[in-house]
Amino acid sequence: MQTKKQIVVKACVIMVLTLMIAVPALAADKVLMMATTTSTDNTGLLDYLAPYFTKATGIELKWTSVGTGKALKMGENCDVDVLLVHAPSAEKVFVEKGFGVNRREIMYNDFVIIGPESDPAGIKGKNVVDALGAVRAKGAVFASRGDNSGTHKKELSLWKATGAAVPEKESWYVQTGQGMLATINIAAERNGYTMTDRGTYIKYADTMKGNPPLKVLVEQDEILLNQYSVLAINPQRCPKARFDLATAFSDWMAGAEAQGLIRDFKLLGKPLFVPNAK
Amino acid sequence: MDFIFAGFIEAIHLLFGGDGQTWSAVAATLKSSSGSMAASLTLGIPLGFVLGYFDFPAKRQVRLLVDTALALPTVFIGLVVYAFISNRGPLGEMGLLFTLTGIAIGQTILALPVVVALSATAVESMDRHLRTLLISLGANRRQLLLSSLWEVRYGVLAAGLTAYGRVMTEVGISMMVGGNIKWHTRTITTAIALETGKGMFATGIALGLVLIAIAFGVNVCLSFLRKK
Amino acid sequence: MFAVSQPIYRIENLVHRYNNEPVLAVDRLDIEPASITGLVGPNGSGKSTLLKLMAFILRPTDGQIRFNGVPAVPFDESVRFQVTLLTQDPYLMKRTVYKNIAYGLKVRGDRDNLTQSVHEALAMVGLDPDAFAQRQWDELSGGEAQRVALAARLVLKPRVLLLDEPTASVDAASSELISAASMRARSEWGTTLVIASHDRQWLYDVCDEVIHLFKGMPVGTGRSNMIFGPWIRQDNGLHVKALGNGKCLTVSAPPNEGATAFIDPAAIRILGKGEGATTAHTAYLDGTVSRLSLERPGGDLFADVRAGSLTLVVRVSESHLAAMTLHRGWPVTLAYRPDSIRWR
Repeated sequence: MQTKKQIVVKACVIMVLTLMIAVPALAADKVLMMATTTSTDNTGLLDYLAPYFTKATGIELKWTSVGTGKALKMGENCDVDVLLVHAPSAEKVFVEKGFGVNRREIMYNDFVIIGPESDPAGIKGKNVVDALGAVRAKGAVFASRGDNSGTHKKELSLWKATGAAVPEKESWYVQTGQGMLATINIAAERNGYTMTDRGTYIKYADTMKGNPPLKVLVEQDEILLNQYSVLAINPQRCPKARFDLATAFSDWMAGAEAQGLIRDFKLLGKPLFVPNAK
Repeated sequence: MDFIFAGFIEAIHLLFGGDGQTWSAVAATLKSSSGSMAASLTLGIPLGFVLGYFDFPAKRQVRLLVDTALALPTVFIGLVVYAFISNRGPLGEMGLLFTLTGIAIGQTILALPVVVALSATAVESMDRHLRTLLISLGANRRQLLLSSLWEVRYGVLAAGLTAYGRVMTEVGISMMVGGNIKWHTRTITTAIALETGKGMFATGIALGLVLIAIAFGVNVCLSFLRKK
Repeated sequence: MFAVSQPIYRIENLVHRYNNEPVLAVDRLDIEPASITGLVGPNGSGKSTLLKLMAFILRPTDGQIRFNGVPAVPFDESVRFQVTLLTQDPYLMKRTVYKNIAYGLKVRGDRDNLTQSVHEALAMVGLDPDAFAQRQWDELSGGEAQRVALAARLVLKPRVLLLDEPTASVDAASSELISAASMRARSEWGTTLVIASHDRQWLYDVCDEVIHLFKGMPVGTGRSNMIFGPWIRQDNGLHVKALGNGKCLTVSAPPNEGATAFIDPAAIRILGKGEGATTAHTAYLDGTVSRLSLERPGGDLFADVRAGSLTLVVRVSESHLAAMTLHRGWPVTLAYRPDSIRWR
């Protein structure tokens, strides 16, 4: 009895140890730590670009994908070497405060306003200002991320563009405090509108077998464009930050190879990002 | 609802199809949780024993503190640990951010109150006759202490399992401190969060099932330590 | 012969309190080596506390206990391996029977012939070593558990074995085995026994001395009648305790309604037939002889007489014994003087 028990216990210990040792070893001397927004990770763009980057420069790219606010905070705290984010006005403040340097525009994708096919506020085909005005006038349900993310900030800027206050306290204005997909689902449940990045919408539509309850109603307005930029962390403030590697990443992203890769990248068969590095 | 079934099928593929990313997440989960369990048991069992066994002036207050710490939200622990080990934090020099060690530290803070409180309860519920028995069989103070601890081993084991359950399933600390970095600090739970965010519900379910399978394995192993 | 030997226990001016409430006060108590001492008294009279103090598990609030002439306290090396206590509830460690019994020997660093010693101890309490040694603690009946607990003490061949109601919670067969094994400890190793029990007959049969404890104090030795209140005052100024069946025990004025009366068995006479003459200062009570027994040390004969709900112990003097026949079930009349009753 005693020995049988011992064998089982030993087997368990060996199993655990094997698992713990058997880790994929991706050893690289040059490791670049990046904070980026969930949209670049969730779309698979970084998984797609990273191997090309490592092949071209010999640098391993590690990234953590968080909300834009948190990504900027991590940059401010010297926890990362480089940022890939999409909140131009916040980025400019970030550079002005001396937290980041060499802001470089890389690409954009766009936002769309989606809503039920029945379109109770009648916004289809309108521009953003008119569409949101119609939603407000009708008091139709509008779901907002409400999480201070880049997408949320974008949505707030749209409301400001209408010339009236953000409908913070209106009962039809639902602040979810959750991610984009969860927010879309909430909008769908409430038969309401929301603003989303196109990438998330493509995946949402795909999970609905191509017949989603929420359709794209407003798109292609200039104000809906979503600019992504790379920022290096200021090496004067953060001596440990790998400024050399950050610069290499920034140069590569703006270069012909990466710009071409970005153009060719497709999400569920649909192009998503438009490269625009100068 | 069909993604639940799809998830079940996918779980089998992930585990037995040798999916590198899944096994990397499994390894990360096991490493950080083993580290934190080792630390919290080493610290927590003696502390719990002291708290349950001895009478000292501020005992009630300490107990209240430990019981309150049971309710620490994981995101809060993650945030506090991040504040300390961030490069601009007091422990920034140690380079613990975005590492499994950092996650293990946070998880230790999560598990410690559970281990302390539950082993203290186990020691408190120890039969009052035990002390009489051990002394009357000739035990000295040290033997009394060690034998008493051995008597409550099942209670301590339960404390460990409860703490292990919390550590394995937490996502706030791993996300905040580890950063969910692919191949490095992506644990099963942060991977579930990511896949859910990507809309890959079936993969999320599959990873959840993988986590449950591991928990089952751990419990099977430990049940052999228990009699009957 | 014992007069010159040193007592194994000498208790002096001992006071023990729980939460400032005195629970035990013993001015002086000596226990001779290799003797058997009984402790009787109602629940809460301090028997268990006294045994725990004598086992050096508790430290007395005041006073001292000398062991072999040397004052000792818990964990002293001079007593650690000498004294062992068996408590009323069979309590075992969560281990096998074997490990439970071997524990004390291991603590002593005595690992030679461990298996043989454990098996001998099991045999001594009437348990088959092959069947029981590897059982878990929770695979035993109450009586078996108590016998294993006793074996864990006997395996130590202790100088002193303290037994706290060892047979209270076990079946008759186990009870017999436990008392037999305890007696063997004394006859084989000269173990000093102190036994607390409610089974007075057993104690009177085996003990060299029986000490009565009441409200934390020794109140006498040998056989005694202890009668609890309440006492009811009657119109004639006397107090009585109702015993059922219309019988009542008449007493002199008790100090209070709830006081406890002590009547010396020698102060009660059994009246012969027709010997019913009423005398002043004498009270009478009709009863039935329920048992006759011989006290070991003195050789006196005692009769238990049941009157209603009360059983009184009566010493039968030799002159009386010659003059009358006594059987179980024999109806008798008891005579006693209420003013000979002592009160506490």
